[in-house]
Amino acid sequence: MIDPLTVLAILAMAGVTYLTRIGGYVVLKNRALSPRATAVMEAAPGCVLISVIAPDFVSRNPADLAALAITLLAATRLSMLPTVVIGVASAGVLRWLIG
Amino acid sequence: MAHFRNPIAARFGYGARTDDRQLSRRTAAARPAAVRAMSVSEIPLAEGRATGGRGAEFRRGLAASTPVLLGIIPYALVLGAQAAQKGLSVAEVPLMTGLNFAGGSEFAAIQLWTSPPHVLLIAAITLLVNSRHFLMGAALAPFIRHLPKRQVFPALFLMCDESWAVGLADAQRRAAAGMRPAFSLPFYLAAGLSVYLAWVAFTACGAALGPVLGDVEKYGFAMAFPAVFLVLLRGMWKGFAAARPWLASLVVAALAYLLVPGAWYVAAGAVSGLAAAWFLAGET
Repeated sequence: MIDPLTVLAILAMAGVTYLTRIGGYVVLKNRALSPRATAVMEAAPGCVLISVIAPDFVSRNPADLAALAITLLAATRLSMLPTVVIGVASAGVLRWLIG
Repeated sequence: MAHFRNPIAARFGYGARTDDRQLSRRTAAARPAAVRAMSVSEIPLAEGRATGGRGAEFRRGLAASTPVLLGIIPYALVLGAQAAQKGLSVAEVPLMTGLNFAGGSEFAAIQLWTSPPHVLLIAAITLLVNSRHFLMGAALAPFIRHLPKRQVFPALFLMCDESWAVGLADAQRRAAAGMRPAFSLPFYLAAGLSVYLAWVAFTACGAALGPVLGDVEKYGFAMAFPAVFLVLLRGMWKGFAAARPWLASLVVAALAYLLVPGAWYVAAGAVSGLAAAWFLAGET
C-alpha cells in the first residue's frame, strides 16, 4: 500500500517545495534579484514544462504526432478544458484510424 | 482566481505573470473597466475601514477562494487518476499532494514516475518547477515582515499560486485603502486552507476512481498532459523573443530523449533553457 521508496521520493519533493516557499522570504526579503537572475527565474517554469513534454514532439507514432499538432492549435486559442478534450479525443480517434 | 483567463493556469502557477500584470494595471492605473473578468481585487473588503474580526476575515478568504476551487477540482481528479495509473496507491497520492501541495511539480513528477521512483530526478524537477515560489515569497515578504516567524513559516507552507495571488492582491488593495495591517493573515489562511483541502481530497478521489477508467493510455488520455502543458505555456507566452529559452529546452530535451536512456531529458532540457535565458538576458 505504501512503498518506502515512494515515501522517500514524496518526502524529497515536500522538503524541496517547502524550501522554495520559505526561500524567497528568508533570502530575498531585504534585497532584490539582479535583472539577469530574474530573467532566468521567469523562464524556468516554461523551460521545465516544454522539456517534460518534449518526447511527444518526437513521437514515432504518426497518429500521436497529428494529434499533438491539433492539440497545439487548440491550445493557442482555447482554454484548458476544451483543449484537453480535443487533445484526448483527437489522439483517441487518430490512433483508432491510423493505428 | 477568476481573473485568470484560464483558471486552471492558476493551479499550476504558470499564470503568475498574468497576475502581476493584472495587479499592476489595477493598482497603478485604477481603471476597473480594464479588468474584464472579476479580479481578486474586486473581492469585497470588510465594511468600512475597520478590520472585521478574525472570523469575518476568515469567511472573506473562503469567499474569495471559492471560484478558484472550481478550476482546481477537475485537475485534482486527473492528477489522482494519472498517479494511480503510474502505480501510486490511494494512500500515497494524498500523502504526496498533502505534503508537497504544488500541482505543477506533482504533474511533472507523476509524468516521470517509474517503479521504483528516481528520487533525485524527481527532487530536481520539483525544485525547477517550484522555483517560482522564490519570487512569490519575495513579493510577499514586505507584507509579512512584521509577523512573528512562528506564524510566517506555517503560513508559507500554504503559499500556492492561488493563495499567494489572492492574499497579495488583497494586501495591496488594503494598503492602498490605508488599512493597517495591509496583510490579513486570517484571509490568507482561509484561502490557502480551502485550496489545500480541495487539492488533497480530490487528488485522493481521483486515485480511487482512476482504476475505474481502466487503461487510460489506450484511449488517448496521454494527450491530456501535453494539452495541459501547452495551455499553460500559452498563458505564459510573451512573444517569440521571450520564448527563445523554451525553444532551446525543447530541442535539447527532444535530442536527449532520443539519444540518452532514462528520464534525464527533462533536466537536460530545463538546464539548457535556463542557460539560454542567462545568455539572452546579457544581450540587453
